[in-house]
Parts: sequence; structure tokens; C-alpha cells
Amino acid sequence: MAEQRTASGPIGARIRRTEDPRLLAGQARYLDDIRLPGMLEGAVLRSPYPHARILRIDVSRARELPGVFDVITGAEVRELAAPQPVIWQQIPDQRMPESYALPTDRVRYVGEAVVAVAAVDRYVAEDALELIDIEYEPLPVAATLDEALAEDAPRLYDQWPDNKMGQHTFTRGNVDEAFTQADVVLRETLYYGRQMGLPLETRGCIASWDTYTNQLDLWLSTQGAHVNRDLMGEALRKPVHEIRVRVPDVGGGFGNKLDFYIEEVLASLMSRRTGRPVKIIEDRVESFVANAHSREQRMEVELAATSDGVITGIRGTVWAVLGGRLSGAACGPPWLSAAVMAGPYKVPNVDVSVVGVFTNRSPIGSYRGWGQPEATLVYERLVELLARKLGLDRNEVRRKNFPAPEEFPFPSTVFTYDSGRYAECLDLCLSGVEKNGWKERQAAARAEGRSVGIGYGFHVECTAFGPSRVLNAVGVQHSGFGQSVVRIDSTGRVTVYTGEVPMGQGIQTALAQVCAQSLGVPIEDVTVIAGDTDSCPYMGYGTGGSRAAALGGGAIIRAAEKLKKQIRDIGAHLLETAPEDLVIENGRVAVSGAPARSVSMAEIGNAAYRSVGKLPAGQTPTLEEREVMDPEDLAWAYGCTAVLVEVDRETGAVKVLDHLIAHDCGTVINPMIVEGQIHGGVAQSIGGALLEELVYGEDGQIQTTTFMDYLVPTATDMPPMQALHMETPAVHIPGGIKGVGEAGTIAVPAAIANAVDDALDDLDVTVTAIPITPPRLLAKIRAAQEQQS
Amino acid sequence: MASKVTVTVTVNGRTLSAECEPRRTLADFLRQTLGFTGVHLGCEHGVCGACTIVFNGATARSCCMLAVQADGAEITTVHGLADGETLHPMQEAFWDNHGLQCGFCTPGMLLRACELVEEFPDPTEEQIREGISGNICRCTGYQFIVDAIRDGAQRMRQTS
Repeated sequence: MAEQRTASGPIGARIRRTEDPRLLAGQARYLDDIRLPGMLEGAVLRSPYPHARILRIDVSRARELPGVFDVITGAEVRELAAPQPVIWQQIPDQRMPESYALPTDRVRYVGEAVVAVAAVDRYVAEDALELIDIEYEPLPVAATLDEALAEDAPRLYDQWPDNKMGQHTFTRGNVDEAFTQADVVLRETLYYGRQMGLPLETRGCIASWDTYTNQLDLWLSTQGAHVNRDLMGEALRKPVHEIRVRVPDVGGGFGNKLDFYIEEVLASLMSRRTGRPVKIIEDRVESFVANAHSREQRMEVELAATSDGVITGIRGTVWAVLGGRLSGAACGPPWLSAAVMAGPYKVPNVDVSVVGVFTNRSPIGSYRGWGQPEATLVYERLVELLARKLGLDRNEVRRKNFPAPEEFPFPSTVFTYDSGRYAECLDLCLSGVEKNGWKERQAAARAEGRSVGIGYGFHVECTAFGPSRVLNAVGVQHSGFGQSVVRIDSTGRVTVYTGEVPMGQGIQTALAQVCAQSLGVPIEDVTVIAGDTDSCPYMGYGTGGSRAAALGGGAIIRAAEKLKKQIRDIGAHLLETAPEDLVIENGRVAVSGAPARSVSMAEIGNAAYRSVGKLPAGQTPTLEEREVMDPEDLAWAYGCTAVLVEVDRETGAVKVLDHLIAHDCGTVINPMIVEGQIHGGVAQSIGGALLEELVYGEDGQIQTTTFMDYLVPTATDMPPMQALHMETPAVHIPGGIKGVGEAGTIAVPAAIANAVDDALDDLDVTVTAIPITPPRLLAKIRAAQEQQS
Repeated sequence: MASKVTVTVTVNGRTLSAECEPRRTLADFLRQTLGFTGVHLGCEHGVCGACTIVFNGATARSCCMLAVQADGAEITTVHGLADGETLHPMQEAFWDNHGLQCGFCTPGMLLRACELVEEFPDPTEEQIREGISGNICRCTGYQFIVDAIRDGAQRMRQTS
């Protein structure tokens, strides 16, 4: 029942990636591999206090250390730079604390940067940090959500009466009536722990400021070249034509490299002051405090339904545990959690709020999934709890509440879903579970006294993010369009220049496939250039929100259509025939039905650039098209995840035994890359569901700053994974492409929570907190056992 | 600043000498002093395995060693796997099986995989998973790496 398409061209073909040989051979060039002549290396002194007043900063001893070129403090930053820009302003009247790359008077989380140093190398720079004297006056700490919300809470910002950053409520229908008239009402408080993307390559930057020309050359390990150039321009009050951003090979992004940070501002300022290039690359310990944290929120929710399982209303509050300042993403991910709280279901009455709360923790920002795993935990837990309460089959309850395919475009609470066949996707997943014999495995295990459960999670995924007007409508202070240039050169070879940024996801290969298919040329003839603001076309936002294939690819498809017209015109002139009689296939332009009458793309390219006399009259030399992709609306992918888990009742440990996802990302460009994206997302969310948590002590100190404390999945933690593909075309994207970058990530925690409940069904346990660590689950098991005895 | 010492190592068959401070890590020495940038630094505390090298015949974490400890050692980095422009069978297998995404863990993963196959010429899935459990990959979820190592082992058996 899985739709196995047979690829007739490059789109849909399972081809190996063009990126790989140099990565395999050790020839990649990541940020830290770049060494410019005279380059200095930076280091950043970070606050050891979660909340403190800065009384005095003395950097004189550091400045005197041989090998030190610059030491910069917050007071100096204020003279040279503007406040850090925040592009996510989606909450009306959200409080916007003004923050610069370095603070002058106060620190609000452990790890907040206070002073930066540039020296001959990192070793000397770190020596210099030890010579900096800072006098702090520790302040009372709001280390947790409850502490920050307490009546007498220490305030992080004196200008406001409390620690709330803002509140936004989404409403639809008449929610009070729905709850009054409901046959059943469920109430749950769910907690999603603090986690982060943690790319294996830490974040870094090199800045080279030529003070004679004012040209600033930046190399950033980032997911957004153009957006970060613009934000850098704002932060440095510098026109962007003086800034060039290049993105070398990026060792993983996962959202952590999407947001705008402070280190690139500091490197730029120190380069300006020293006349030398300055590199700052964080070490792993720094990455745990200086990169965006994510996910942490408490969700108090209620569901109203009829006795036969029809959902009639949802209401609740997402309490977003923000950090001590705003990242560029501000309260964005929790906001999206609240906005998509109805998930794939038809919920006529909604009243869901998001409240952002400042705490003395690291700032919240982007991480793959971006609020959607949290929302999915809510709606997929509630739907299974509803089924449990009513004694109905959980997947029948899901099915009962899906919009039918003919109800698309389906208007959900905030967004309109473009296309979908949700019930079919559920069926595909269920048939996979049946085929793989999970129920038999579960029964056999239970017969042996083992606690094995099956859980499901159906998710919707916001992809092709995003259409500029949609972004602006929801408060993003930036455009979101994509753009690609397709150029055929004098030898007939093709170069694609895209604004999208590669970070390991295989986008060069995927875009080459789209281009090869669209133009009718062999994929070997296509090169994809990305990650350079001087050669690649402008793109809004950054490569996040599962967008690169859809927006980058959609632009290529349109550009190729325009190019093909030119190719046919030139070919017709060379072959003395009519353009409409020509087909372009495998790099040749041939008369339809008479393949012997043909010219190669090389001849076309030669005519367009060198033997221009061969062009038809009126044809302008060169062969190049540029296309902006700013679609009318988003594309909504979806999927149904199933997991088979085993719980150890003695220890509370959970092991995922098997995994399966049926998903629909529209047109599949390369099944191998799609599966790779899903596998990686699943790994991160199995880590997120069971292992990963950024833990803070009562004193506000972070306790997880190494891979020994913050556990990411290793090969032995991972089950086999299977992906079944469906293809329902995107409505607003040429080629029907939706995104897949976050597909694996979103539903796994909910599915695992559901499976753990199922494994412990005799105890009537309800998992309410992610990650499901052994101590958390053991406490639930013990409590349930005590209640039963 | 301490006085510098001379360290001589043989890397991928070539003997190289350079001066460095005694505190310089072997990883920084290989990367920055000698230019073997395929040695990656993912954590600098010996957990992630991105900096894995072959040190006198066995894999080791170059981030947790000092360059001075390597004086006289024989070292292989990822650059030593390919034969000129011909990729090593394990590299080919990683390519064919999509055993990498961002490529940052890949050098360490490849060197560990080759060592694993020396130990288990026809490794089981469990042996592979156990064998690479000291190397973190944040992109792939490991499934295609496991497939690649099984495939690479077969290719290595055929070519040996």
C-alpha cells in the first residue's frame, strides 16, 4: 500500500549525494578549518552567576598579556554597535528588553558573555580570560518557571512589574459553550524539558574588517547567509553592501545555527579594532550555554469531547520558560506550539494562550521541530487519553476527527493546511505495524512478563517556511521568500545559485536533481552553489522550517521553464525548425520524433556566449534566469509515527524496540535523502523523549555542560527505523514539493509517551513529562503500584 | 609561556616535525600545525569521537592527548584512507548507503569502522552498533551508518 513511485527522471531517484566524496576524504572545509593570514583567535568570558549586578570590570592585566591584541567590554560595544535585532515579534506588545552583544550592568544567566578577547591563538586568549577581574553582586534568582511567576519573584527587568514577556491568545468558536456541553472533559498538565540541537560542529565565526574600504568579510557557520548579513548590518549600523557572508561546510545546524547571535558581532568589532581577522569558535562547554536552548514549556490543557469521541473544544495555556534575554527567535517556538495546538484535528472551539516568562536560564531559540513536538505531545496525548477514557480504539478516535481530503484547503486555528490524506496515512502506518508483526511481538513479550507497548503519534508539519506575507502577518519582522538563479554556461553546463544554505541535509544534491529534471540535462552537468551573499541570490529568513527543497526547488523549476523557452528558440534557429517541435532530453535539444536532428546543450551554450552570431535575431546573449519563490501560503506535511517500546518496571528505563513512520512530504525528490532526514530527526527525538535534558539546579547553575551529562543517542540507543512514503502534492509550490526536515522529529516523543502508557496499561500510568527519564517514570510506576495495593 | 618542544610524528606515512608548546593538544597539532583538518573537534572531552585517529595501530582520541605524547608515533588520519583519488572501500560504502550527512563525525566514524572490521571481518549488527557507540553522530540516526559498515566490511573482504 506504500506508494512506490518509479522515477522516470532525476526527481524521485535514489541517487547518492554529490556532496559526499570530499566529506569522506577529509577534504571538507568547516569554519575552524579556515585560517586567514594574521588571524587572531577569540575567547569569551562568561558569567558564572545566574543573576548578578556587574559592579566593576578590570581588563588591564589581560590587555598586558603578551599575545593579546584586544579585550572588549560591554561599555565599548555600546559605543560601536546597536542592540541585537529580534525578528520574531509575533506576540502583540511583547516586552523587548534592549540587549547588546555584551551587557554593561547586569547578567541574567550562567554563560552570558561579559568580556571578549582576541589573541594570537585560543590558548593565549584563554590565558587572558583568567586575568580579567570582574566584581559581581549576586542577585536573587528566578531559576524556574514557578519562581519567576511568584508574587514576590526577583524581577529580571526592573522596568516591568513582573517577569512576563508577553501573552497571545488564539480563539475560535465558543469554547466555554463547548466545555459546558461536553460529554467528557480531560485535563492535563504536560511538561516538556529543556533541550537543544547540539550540532556536532560547534558554532563559530570569522570576521575580517578592512578599515580602509570598510568591507566586512564574514565566514559564519550559519543556516542563513543573507538574513544574517542584514541583521549584522543592523547590529553594526553598517550598510549591507559592505558586508559579505560566506558559509563554509556546516557540521549540522538543527536550528541552533539559524538565529542571530552575539559572537559574530564581537568578532567583527575586534577585527575592526585590531585590523586583523578574528575567529571565535565556541568549545563544547560554551555551546551548552551560548547556543539557543529550546522546548522547555509547561502546557496546561483541557479537551472537550462527545461520548463517541468527537473533539469539540481545546483550551489551555502554554507557559514558555524563556531565558534571561531574547534570542532572535524570541518566544517564537512556544508561540507556534499554541498556534498549532489543534494539530491535524477538526476542533471547532479553541482558546489557547501562550505566555512567555523570563527566567535566569539561557535564552530560548530555534531547534528542529520549533514548538511542534511540544504541541504534538499535547494533542496526541489527549487523543489517546480520550480514547482510553471512552473505551474506544485510539486510532478510530483519530480518524473520527480528521478533516477528509475534500475538506482541504483546511482552515485550522491559525494556519490553513494545503493538502492531505490523513486517514490514508494512518492506514499506511497501521498496515506497516501489522506487517511488521508488532502486536504479536507485544503479545509474546507480555506472555514472558515483559512490559511492551505500542504508541502512535500523528503530526502536522509546517513546511516551506515561508511566504513573506504569511510571516509578516504572524509578526515576523523579515521576509521569507526563496530565490534561485539557474545559469547555463558557454559549455552547456548548468550552475544553480541558491539562497538556501546547506548544513549537511543534502540540499545540493536535491536541488541538482530538481534542476536536471526541469531542464532535461544529466545531473552530472549541474553544479549547485550556495552560502555566499556575493554570488547567491537573496533569500528571506534562513534555511529552517523545512523549506530548502520547496522554496529553493520551486524557484529552480520556474527558472528552468523560462530557460527552456530560450533554449528552444536558440535550438530552433540552429536546427531550422520551430521551437514547439523541440524536446530537451538528456542534454540534447532534438526535433520531436526525429532524434537525429539535434544539437547539444554545449552548442546552445556556445551560441549564447561565444558564437553569438548563431543566435536568432533579437536573442540576447547569455542564458540565465532568476526566480523568486514567495508562495501564497505554506505547505503542510504530515505523518503517522508508531513505536514499539519496552519498559523496565524495576528501573524505569525505556527502550525503543522498533520505529515506523508513514509520512507525506509531497513530491519525494530523493528517497534516500528523505529517509536520512527522517532517521536523524527520529534520533534527536528519541534522545529528546528519553535522554536529553538541560538541567538547572535550584541555584540557577546549569548542570549539563558535557556529553557525559547531556546524553545524546548513540548507535546502541537507536531502534531500526522504517519510513513509508506518500505523495500528496503541495498546492502552492511548483513541483508539489513539501518539506521533510522536521518530519522525524515532531511526533516521536508523543508516540513514546503513548507507548509507555500502553506498556503499563495495567497500572493506568499517564506519562506527563518529557524526557521520560528512569527516575521520572519509576516514580510514576511506584505511585501507581502503591495505589493498587 | 613555556619553551617550545619539537615533536616528530609519522602521519599517513609521511614523517613531519614541528615545534609546539608542551600544552598543545595532539588534535590542535595535527589540525593547525600540520594541516590535517580532517581531524575534527566535536567536544574536546573525549566523548564524541570526531577527533579519532589511528595511533600506533589503534584508534585514539586526539583531543585528549598532548602533541608531546605523540613524539615518534605512527598516526593515520582520515586523509590516509583513500588511495590517491580512489576512495577506500569503506568510504565508498558510506557514500552508497548515505552513511553521512554533515560529514563532521565521518572521519572518526570511518577510522573506527575500519578498525572494527579488522576485529570482526563479518560483523553482526550488534557488533557494529556496540563498536561505534563511542562515536556520536547527530545527523543520521546511525541506521545508514550501520548499513554502510556492513557493506564496507563485505567490500573489504572481497578486496583483501
